[in-house]
Amino acid sequence: MIPPELLLIIINFAIGLIITISLNIEVGFLNIPQFGRLLSVVMGAIIAAAVPGRILAAILGYPWGAEYADHMHNFKIVSEINKVLASNPWLSIGVFILTLIIAALIGGLMGLLCAYPALRLKETLGITLLAFGDLAVTIAWNYDPLVGGTTGVFVVDPFTFVGSQLRFTIAALAALIVALAVYFYAELLARSPYGRMLKAIRDSEVAAAVYGKDVVKARKQVLIVGGAISAMAGAIWALFTGSMKASTYTRLQWTFWPWAFMMLGGVGNNLGIFIGVLIYTIARFLIIVYKGAISTLIGISPEWLEYILIGLLIIVIVLFRPQGLLPEKPVYSLPKNKVNSIISKVEGEAGGEKSPTSSQSTSEKTSVTT
Amino acid sequence: MIDLIVKAIAYSSCIGIGAASITMIYDATRTFNFAHASMVSYGMYVAFIAVYLLGFTPYHALPLAILVGGGLGLVTYYGVNKWLLKARASETNLMMSTLGVDLVMFGFLNVLSDYLIQVYKVPAKFFVLETRDIMIQVGDTSIRLVGIVAPLVLVAIVVSLHIFLTRTKIGVAMRASIENPALASISGINTDVVYALAWLIGGALATLSGLLISLVVTGYTAAGMTMIVSFFAGSIVGGLFSIFGSLLGGLLVGLSEFLGISLLGSVLGGWIYAYRPAIPLAAMAITLLLKPEGLAGFFVKVRE
Repeated sequence: MIPPELLLIIINFAIGLIITISLNIEVGFLNIPQFGRLLSVVMGAIIAAAVPGRILAAILGYPWGAEYADHMHNFKIVSEINKVLASNPWLSIGVFILTLIIAALIGGLMGLLCAYPALRLKETLGITLLAFGDLAVTIAWNYDPLVGGTTGVFVVDPFTFVGSQLRFTIAALAALIVALAVYFYAELLARSPYGRMLKAIRDSEVAAAVYGKDVVKARKQVLIVGGAISAMAGAIWALFTGSMKASTYTRLQWTFWPWAFMMLGGVGNNLGIFIGVLIYTIARFLIIVYKGAISTLIGISPEWLEYILIGLLIIVIVLFRPQGLLPEKPVYSLPKNKVNSIISKVEGEAGGEKSPTSSQSTSEKTSVTT
Repeated sequence: MIDLIVKAIAYSSCIGIGAASITMIYDATRTFNFAHASMVSYGMYVAFIAVYLLGFTPYHALPLAILVGGGLGLVTYYGVNKWLLKARASETNLMMSTLGVDLVMFGFLNVLSDYLIQVYKVPAKFFVLETRDIMIQVGDTSIRLVGIVAPLVLVAIVVSLHIFLTRTKIGVAMRASIENPALASISGINTDVVYALAWLIGGALATLSGLLISLVVTGYTAAGMTMIVSFFAGSIVGGLFSIFGSLLGGLLVGLSEFLGISLLGSVLGGWIYAYRPAIPLAAMAITLLLKPEGLAGFFVKVRE
């Protein structure tokens, strides 16, 4: 058993890390102004709310069409499904993994969708992507047969089989495992030749194109990967909370805050982002814990204090440390000591050659002048 | 029906004014102003305070809105934007900084709203000023005053901006430094003043549109945030590089949002009304795909 406070930190950290890493792959590695992170996150949540429940309902013989999302039937159907899942650990794990896979596929599709404007627009790209995200939420909010519209739906719970006491702990740990896996994937990506190509394109598109790198393809691929990863975050969040309501997916929380984490940690640096998300999650948790004390002390509701503090944080970072807490460093694709030994070897050779040549040249110079 | 058209005209004029604000600031400083959202909300609260606390009509508060908006714009410029422009920050960083400003402004606006509720016991969380509007009798129908004032303000802005940008020295300097900042500063134009002026005018236009739009839509602290896509769409439909184009673009987006949806509703059925937020997006997408230089491209030769 983990205390609920720690649980809150773990789940927020895990979700924040997944989304921010996906953002970093797009923004940090390839400089795409992805202000539409919300799009794939909410799509992931929609998938988690709409797909596994419907599949199980169809298999178990419950209505799975528009009635499934109807608030009169939904909670009954979902609780029946949860009963089945509770007695079936392997099925539950399968549902969890399947949900993530489908969410990632749809998120990748969303990335492909974003690629269409992303290859054509320059200044207006960020705004266009932002509008895409809002549109997805609008549809989920208004189209009842999908995820219940304004009433929302319950999400099937693949964690019930561990019992109600352990349920949230296991769910948070599962999220953390996925988050760490995503982190290591991003780290591997950064160290791979492909990652170096992305950074080359980011730094100079023309130069990379001259060396035969396919810029258009790289942009498309990165948008697909980023979309897939962030959709998993949306799906995990929906599975964790056990319900899905479109209005809780706001641009602020799922696009702008990850941007703030990323800028705090260091754009382009996965470790920096890890630290940025961790710092922010703990700070936010402290604000929540000391809510009462803070509001009596300064007379401001802590909710608004949070907005003001995050706003100030963003401003301070952009003004004074735009590279973030941990600035991006060149990533070594070999172990560090190996690289160091090569460097010292090369420098040793260069140093050995350098001194005679330099002295030669100076002597030549002096001979010329004399 | 007449009421709907009047409302649509008022709403779209406000979107036009707001879109002009975004274009103004973007043209001058390359900054997409996310703080626009809160600036619009501040305009709404100026109207609210004028009506509920001071007992005026919202129209009396127009000068106050201009002052508040101009002040917010200047604070943003001198507090944040100036230093970033000096450091040649990337466009993304400029955008993020205004997002930070927006969150701070939003926080303080909510504090203000809480304060108003606690101290003055007024419904500052959500408010509808529509019913407080003055009705004018024209023939045998009565129409809202905002349906006349908002387009008038729009026209006044067009005329005064035109005179300002073409007839005054500082206006010409402003155009010059938007066109080519380096050359402008070589020829002795103080670009700092020009940028500050752009933020002043931009902020004032944003709050002005917020004040007027509060007579058409429900006011709350996040209202600007929900409407900001419409403003951006107006600016993009207008062509992003022409202030007059964006006034027109905002007008078009607003009209299609208000009238287009009721036209669609009469054809397709009532379910379509909920998808109103999709209209500005559609307008934006069509513009970007078919005519990226926007409405301005039809009557102004866009520079290469």
